[in-house]
Amino acid sequence: MTATITTDAVTTAPGRASKPPRRRRGRSVPHLLLIPAVLILLVGMGYPLVWQAVTSLQEFGIAQQFGKPAPFVGIDNYVSLATDPDMWAVVGRSLVFCLVTAAVTLAIGILLAVLMTAVGRAARLTLQISLLLAWAMPVVAAMTVWIWLFDRRRGVVNYLLDMIPGVDMNRFSWLSNPLTFFLVASIIVVWMSVPFVAFSVYAGLTQVSDEVLEAAQLDGASGWQRLRFVIMPMIRPVIAIVLLLQLIWDLRVFTQITMLQDAGSKAGEFDLLGTYIYKLGAGAQDFGMASAVSIFVLALTLAISWFYVRSLLKEDAQS
Amino acid sequence: MKRKYAAAAFATAAALVLAGCSSTGDAAQNESADGQDITLWLMGGDTPDTLRTYLQDEYEQATGGTLTIEEQGWGDAVAKLTTALPDAANTPDVTEIGNTWAPTFTNAGAFTDLSDMYDELGGDKLLPSFVEVGDVDGAHYALPYYFGSRYNFYRKDIWEAAGKTVPTTLAEFDETVKSLRTDAQSGFYIGGSDWRNGISWIFANGGDLAKKDGDKWVGTLSDPKTIAGLEEFQSLFEGASNAPVTEFDSTPWVNINDNEATGKPEAATIIAPGWAHWSIGDLAPDPKDATKTVATWNDDKFGTFVLPGVDGGVAPVFAGGSNIAISAASKNQAGAKELMKIIFSPEYQQMLGENGLGPANLDYASSLGDDQFAKALIESAAGSKLTPAAPGWAAVEGAGILEEFFGKVSAGGDVADLAKEYDAKLDELLN
Repeated sequence: MTATITTDAVTTAPGRASKPPRRRRGRSVPHLLLIPAVLILLVGMGYPLVWQAVTSLQEFGIAQQFGKPAPFVGIDNYVSLATDPDMWAVVGRSLVFCLVTAAVTLAIGILLAVLMTAVGRAARLTLQISLLLAWAMPVVAAMTVWIWLFDRRRGVVNYLLDMIPGVDMNRFSWLSNPLTFFLVASIIVVWMSVPFVAFSVYAGLTQVSDEVLEAAQLDGASGWQRLRFVIMPMIRPVIAIVLLLQLIWDLRVFTQITMLQDAGSKAGEFDLLGTYIYKLGAGAQDFGMASAVSIFVLALTLAISWFYVRSLLKEDAQS
Repeated sequence: MKRKYAAAAFATAAALVLAGCSSTGDAAQNESADGQDITLWLMGGDTPDTLRTYLQDEYEQATGGTLTIEEQGWGDAVAKLTTALPDAANTPDVTEIGNTWAPTFTNAGAFTDLSDMYDELGGDKLLPSFVEVGDVDGAHYALPYYFGSRYNFYRKDIWEAAGKTVPTTLAEFDETVKSLRTDAQSGFYIGGSDWRNGISWIFANGGDLAKKDGDKWVGTLSDPKTIAGLEEFQSLFEGASNAPVTEFDSTPWVNINDNEATGKPEAATIIAPGWAHWSIGDLAPDPKDATKTVATWNDDKFGTFVLPGVDGGVAPVFAGGSNIAISAASKNQAGAKELMKIIFSPEYQQMLGENGLGPANLDYASSLGDDQFAKALIESAAGSKLTPAAPGWAAVEGAGILEEFFGKVSAGGDVADLAKEYDAKLDELLN
C-alpha cells in the first residue's frame, strides 16, 4: 500500500516515461516540450549561479563593481571563510534555528491537520479560514504587527506577562539578547509556515481510506496506535517533502530576521546565513566573499536535501 | 552528461562576455544640455517638496528638458548606488549621497571630476570638511549638498526642579545627567549602539576612529585618547541611560515629550539632529489626522544647548549631511552640470537655509535664521567632525561594525580588549 501511494504521488512522470515507446517519432516530443522550461531555468537560475560561482573565486569589491578587472584568487575566499570562527558560529546558529523551527512547525502542523479531521464542519472551516489568513498575510505587514507585539515598552506580550503575579516583564527587551531574539524569530517563522504544513498534511490525511482505519479499530488499535502505525506511514511521503521544504526555507530565512534586526540589533551575534551574506555583499561590498558563502549555503542545502533524494531513489528502485 | 557540460560551458562563456560588456560601458556623451532629460536621486525626505519643484522648474527653463527626482531610502541606498552607478542604462545622472559614503564612491571612480567648475559652484566658500571627503588627489568629485548637526534638547522643568544648570564642560554634563536618572526616567537617553552620537565623546577626548598611516588606513580605537572617550561614554551610558544596549537608530524625541500614559517624559535630556525640534513640545491631537499628534514647542518646558567640550567650549559632534555628485557613467553630463549650477545658485542655497538645512555655501549660512535652533545648529556645526575619509568607510557602515562595537562597550565589556578586536575588523575593511 505504502509503495503504491508513493509511486503515484511522486514518481508519476518517470513511471510513464519508462513505458516502452510505441513509436520512435513520439520520443522526441517530450524532449522538445522540455526545452522552454530548461531554457527558463538556465537563464533565470543558471546565469546567476554561474556568475556567483565565478565571483566566489575572485576578489570582487566595490572597485571591481565600478569596472576594475577582478583578479582570480583561486579558493582564497573559501579558505578565509573556513578559518573564520564568526562564519562557523553563523552556520551553527542557522542549522540549530532551522532544525528546531522546522521540527516545531511540522509538529504543530500535523496536530492541526489531525484536529481538522476530528472536528465538525463549522470548527474545521473556522480553523481553515484562520490558517489561510495567516498564510496570505504579507510578510512585512505581519512582521510589523509581531514587532509591535514584542515591543519593549508598549508590547502586548510584556503587558500580559507582567500581569502574572511574581513575573516582572515590564520593559523586557526581547530583541536585545540573541537567545530571546531567536525565540521570537522562531515563533514568527513557525506562525507563518504552520498553515502550509497543516493544509498539506490534511490533504494527505483525506487520502487515508476509512476502511483501513475501521479495520485497524476492529483489530483493537487505540487512537494513538492508529495515528502512529496506520496513518503516519501512509502520509509519510507528504511529511517528507513538507519537512524538506521547511528545512530549506528555514535555512535561508531572511526577511523576518532582517526586520527583527532593524527593530533590535544589527550586531553579528544576531545573524543567520541570509543576513550574514547580505551584510557581506550589499553591506561590506565584498561580493567575492558573499558569493563564496552563498555557494556554501547551496552545498549545505543539497546536503540537507540528500536524505529526501536518497529515499526517492530507494523507492524508485523498489517499484 | 556531455550536453550538460556544454550547457555549463556556454553559460560560463555568456557570463564572462556579459560581465565584460558592463565594464566597458563608456558613455557616449552629448555635448549640449538642450532638451536632456535627467534623473536626480535624493536620499530620504530631507529635501522638502518646494525645493524639488524649484529644481524641476529651473531645470526645464534652463535646458527645456525634464528633471525626474527619485527618492531613495537611506537604509538601502548604499546597495542601490553600488549596483546602479556603474550601469550607464540605469544610473541616476546626479545623486545625493551620505557625506560619509563620499570617500568610498569617489575612490571607486563613480563620479565625474568637477574641478573645472568648482570655482563657479562656490569654490572656497563651500563647507571645507564636506569638500574634502569628496576629493581624490586634489580633484573634486563630490561636493557638499547640505549639512546638519546635533545638539542637546533638555527638559527645563525637570532640570530646574533638580536645581541643575546648563553644563559648561563635558564632565559636568555627564555628572548632571547621571544624577537625573531614575528607574522611570533616563537622565540622558542614548541607545547603547548609537555610535553616531556616541563618537562625540571620542572626538571630545581627542580620539578618532581611524587614521591614515602612510598610504594605509588603520583603526585607532585602541589609541589612549579614543579609549578615554569610550570609557567616558561607557560610564555615561551605564549611569544615565535606560535605553537597551542594542538600540542604534532611535527616535529620541519621543522620549523627551510627555508620555501619553504617564504624563511624564522618559528622558530629561537627549541629543538629536537639529530638525528634531519640529517633533518636540507639548503634544495635541492633529486636527487633520486623529491618529497622530502635533508638537508645539514650549519654551518654559524645553530648552536646547550645545554639547560642551572637555575643557568647555563646544564638543565636536558628528557632522551630518549629504554630498552631491554627477555619475561618471551618465550619458547626460551636460544636463547634469546644468543641474549642479542650479543647486549651487544663490537662490537655491538660500532656500536650503530657510528650510533648516545648512547650505553648502557658507555665504548663505545666515539664511538659517537667528532663533535658538539656528544658533545651536551653527554653533555645533562649527566644531563638528566627519568620520574618516577612508575608501572602505561605506563598507564599515554597511557591515554594522560600529553599532556592534558600541553595543558591546555599552554592555560593560572591557574597552581595551574590544578596541583591539574591532581595530582588526576595521583594518580589514578600511582600505
